[in-house]
Amino acid sequence: MAGETTIYTLRLGFDDKLKAVKVEVPKGEPRPWDADSELAVIGRDTPRIDSVPKVTGAAQYTHDVRLPGMLHAAVLRSPHPAAEIEHLDVSPALKQPGVRAAIDLVKVGDKVRFAGADVAAVAAKTRDEARAALASIVVRYRPLPFVVDLDEAIQPGSPKVHEKAVKDRRTEGDEPSEGGKARVEGNVRRNPSLSKGSSNKGLRQAKVRHEATYTTQVHTHSALETHSIVVRWDSPKAMTAWCSTQGIFSVRDELAGVFELKPADVKVFTEYMGGGFGAKFGASAPGSRLGWIAGELARKSKAPVSLLLDRHEEHVCTGNRPGSTQRVTLGATTSGELTAIHVVGHGSAGIGTGAGIGNNAFGIYTRCPNILVESRDVFCNTGPGTAFRAPGHPQGAFAIELAIDELALKLGKDPLELRIGHVEHPVRRAQLELGRERFRWAERRREADAKRSRGARYLTGVGVACSIWGDYGRKNAARVTVSVDRDGVVEVRNGVQDIGGGITTVLAMVAAEVFARPVPSIRVQVGNSELGPSVGSGGSQTTSSVAPAARNAAEAVKAELTELAAKLLGRGSTEGLVWGSDGVSEVGGRKRTIAFAELCKKIEGEAVVATASRPQTYNAGPMRHPSAPVYQIAGAHFIEAEVDTWTGVVRVPEVLAIHDVGRVHNPLTTRSQVNGGIALGISYALMEQRIVDRGSGRMLNPNLESYKIIGAAELPKLDIVFTELHTGANSTGAVGIGEPSTIPTAAAIACAVHHAIGRPVRSLPMTPDRVLAAIQGA
Amino acid sequence: MSERPKLTRRGLLRGFGTATVIAGCAKPTAEGAAGETAQPEDLPADVVAIGPGAAPLSLEINGSVRSLEVAASVTLLAALRDHLDLTGSKEVCDRGACGACMVLVDGVPMNSCMMLAHDLEGRSITTVEGLAIGDTLAPLQSAFIAHDAAQCGFCTSGMLISATALLRTGDSKDRSSIAEGMAGNLCRCGSYHHILAAIEDVAGVQGGA
Repeated sequence: MAGETTIYTLRLGFDDKLKAVKVEVPKGEPRPWDADSELAVIGRDTPRIDSVPKVTGAAQYTHDVRLPGMLHAAVLRSPHPAAEIEHLDVSPALKQPGVRAAIDLVKVGDKVRFAGADVAAVAAKTRDEARAALASIVVRYRPLPFVVDLDEAIQPGSPKVHEKAVKDRRTEGDEPSEGGKARVEGNVRRNPSLSKGSSNKGLRQAKVRHEATYTTQVHTHSALETHSIVVRWDSPKAMTAWCSTQGIFSVRDELAGVFELKPADVKVFTEYMGGGFGAKFGASAPGSRLGWIAGELARKSKAPVSLLLDRHEEHVCTGNRPGSTQRVTLGATTSGELTAIHVVGHGSAGIGTGAGIGNNAFGIYTRCPNILVESRDVFCNTGPGTAFRAPGHPQGAFAIELAIDELALKLGKDPLELRIGHVEHPVRRAQLELGRERFRWAERRREADAKRSRGARYLTGVGVACSIWGDYGRKNAARVTVSVDRDGVVEVRNGVQDIGGGITTVLAMVAAEVFARPVPSIRVQVGNSELGPSVGSGGSQTTSSVAPAARNAAEAVKAELTELAAKLLGRGSTEGLVWGSDGVSEVGGRKRTIAFAELCKKIEGEAVVATASRPQTYNAGPMRHPSAPVYQIAGAHFIEAEVDTWTGVVRVPEVLAIHDVGRVHNPLTTRSQVNGGIALGISYALMEQRIVDRGSGRMLNPNLESYKIIGAAELPKLDIVFTELHTGANSTGAVGIGEPSTIPTAAAIACAVHHAIGRPVRSLPMTPDRVLAAIQGA
Repeated sequence: MSERPKLTRRGLLRGFGTATVIAGCAKPTAEGAAGETAQPEDLPADVVAIGPGAAPLSLEINGSVRSLEVAASVTLLAALRDHLDLTGSKEVCDRGACGACMVLVDGVPMNSCMMLAHDLEGRSITTVEGLAIGDTLAPLQSAFIAHDAAQCGFCTSGMLISATALLRTGDSKDRSSIAEGMAGNLCRCGSYHHILAAIEDVAGVQGGA
């Protein structure tokens, strides 16, 4: 602890609930931007500064990296969901056209545990040659009993997926939480429970109960750019990697670890990357050691190696959102006060861990005094799950929110009023009340009820669901450098990757704001491990970790330049000098101005440079998170669904999304992220599902035509509202949005469908067969 | 070739794609059984045997003629990306389901992963790299930037090609016809609203001009 602090009185809060709050910040921090800050750039729609290469095709993704002499790798994968390797010989591959190296990835006696597991790999002059050569590798498998279905895997006596204890595989994509000592019984592994009060007591007190089981499917990330890495050895002790990743530094550290190099001797570049959604941390994929494979093939062949997965591999071995089965029990008084929430969630992350169900049941309807959420991982012989945009939350939200709607129906209560009566978070409550008016909740509900009682073919319904996330912005993780040179060039440098969230542009905006310069004049360099430490883009922490660090560095440079201006103006101190678009000016008095360009010319040496980070969040925000030492992010989706009762097809005509995102730095790109969260949520609710054949243990739809994802024709009319929240959490007030924006979508659709047809569809995705079965009361 | 019928994606594959596939897959006499060997003289007059191995080819791409040597089995997408250093067209599904590899063939949007490079001789191909004129972006490219239609940007090339064709056909009168027209292009970041707004913007400008 540095110890010394400064106290600022800031105006914080939201809407008309702003108030003066004393905030203690480490000495040296600039005065944090608050409700009184008049900002010229931050908060305005700003087109990305790195878009031109994207629209001209010039942007270099890892898929596009072409190095002199570069070879292409291909991986032989197990066709069996469980087998022992009895024989493996990769040497015939070396005789195939173009092949320069072949390696085995398992040994005789090893077990493979899912269809798609690594077996061997080759590098050849072309991708076609590499793939063709895989056929020459000789492998004899001894197939073993396997289980690919969650319900079956729970049963005593079902084939055991792992013989030994399994370690948690956690990435920067996982929501920070306390780990636990997991007990394993058969294929079932207990995760830590979330608990308050006594759910048993609460259920005994209840006059009305609702109990039902909800299931969700396995959902694959399906980023358009498949997992990919290019490795080049620069010397026996140093390498350069290009990787499609959400975490440049986790790639560096993994490569350094597996090849016993110093992290400083591993360079990683991610100039542009084609989507990750949680599955791209580290050099490898959750189910395939890509970093090792590319690096080892490159070492053996003494040539750079490019390893790009194909779409089939992307579906089976690079992670997924685990499926779940959740038993929900709710208790309430006859007047509609919740007395207990009890959820037992079983999730399957295949051979991996991390199939929890998030904080929704525990952290949102907190006026309920007794809550117990239990969660268990169930191992199956399928590819490992991993973090996927708000891990655990969409599945958890679906079960608890639909259960609450079903309880409301039993109680004869309006489900929105039931929710408003049980939330404690002031922002969430305000969002629910705003949505009630803006979405014409009561009127639409009445219209929908009338259609249902008329027996119309097309029924409509209205549903609502809430989001919960934490402000996981990290202290001292991102070290951002800002420089202003003698030529007046302002540059921001940091190693962070821009995964499409738009951090590059936000960094330019922060510098433009501080120096009162136009955004297009700011240069930003990112996507390179040598540009200074940074965070992985997981937990919705990029902007809140990096933008405040950039401001702090820029303010340090500005302070030095202001001193220079004072000297040039012959003033004893910087007091009475202000920055504007024409440069640095005196306030009052003689009102002289030094133009920015003139000031920069007087810089001693090449440039003024500062590097800074950000400290721990300095305020608790409006409300603490129930299971992490951070403050909570709220959010709510109001959704209208239309059900064709003849075909069972569900459409989503309209969505209202209300989110708090701290200070919205760039509304244009923030809306893009919310658009994306909602599109993903609708797709999850209605279309996507991994289908694994119980007989063969293989995925039957590892492509993009039978694994259906949402397209332009299935979009709702969309209304996005940001509750601007002045948190005083960091120097810019940045908070994340990527994950909170997708949490409530599927849940709200399920509630809307329930309202439309009067019966619940308790399984995702809500495909026509399931909807028809629900309508017919099956 | 002036009276070439209007192309459709299916028609293209049916019309001449298959012929070259057959010829291209024919095994060389030396290693194939005699009965499997396709003799050039047995082929219909309008079918050309190519290969085995790389064979020379000229393609008209973005207004200039490019020469390359690729095997008959090489797709147009692979030819662009791996032989001509035009990496703007992306490989995503590799089976015509996502639109990320779309190019214009004689003005018609096609999935380049579903076509063989040798079938494109004599056709005019436009890739995303050919949409701007020098440093001047096409109005659609500028609109994509203004509306923030690209998050990660991996679908963008295909979206722009699809939308360019859509604007030319005039099937872009309103939001729903644009959405229908763009239904074959997937975007995993979910930027569809901004993509449609960008296209609508340009369609409106054109309509008013």
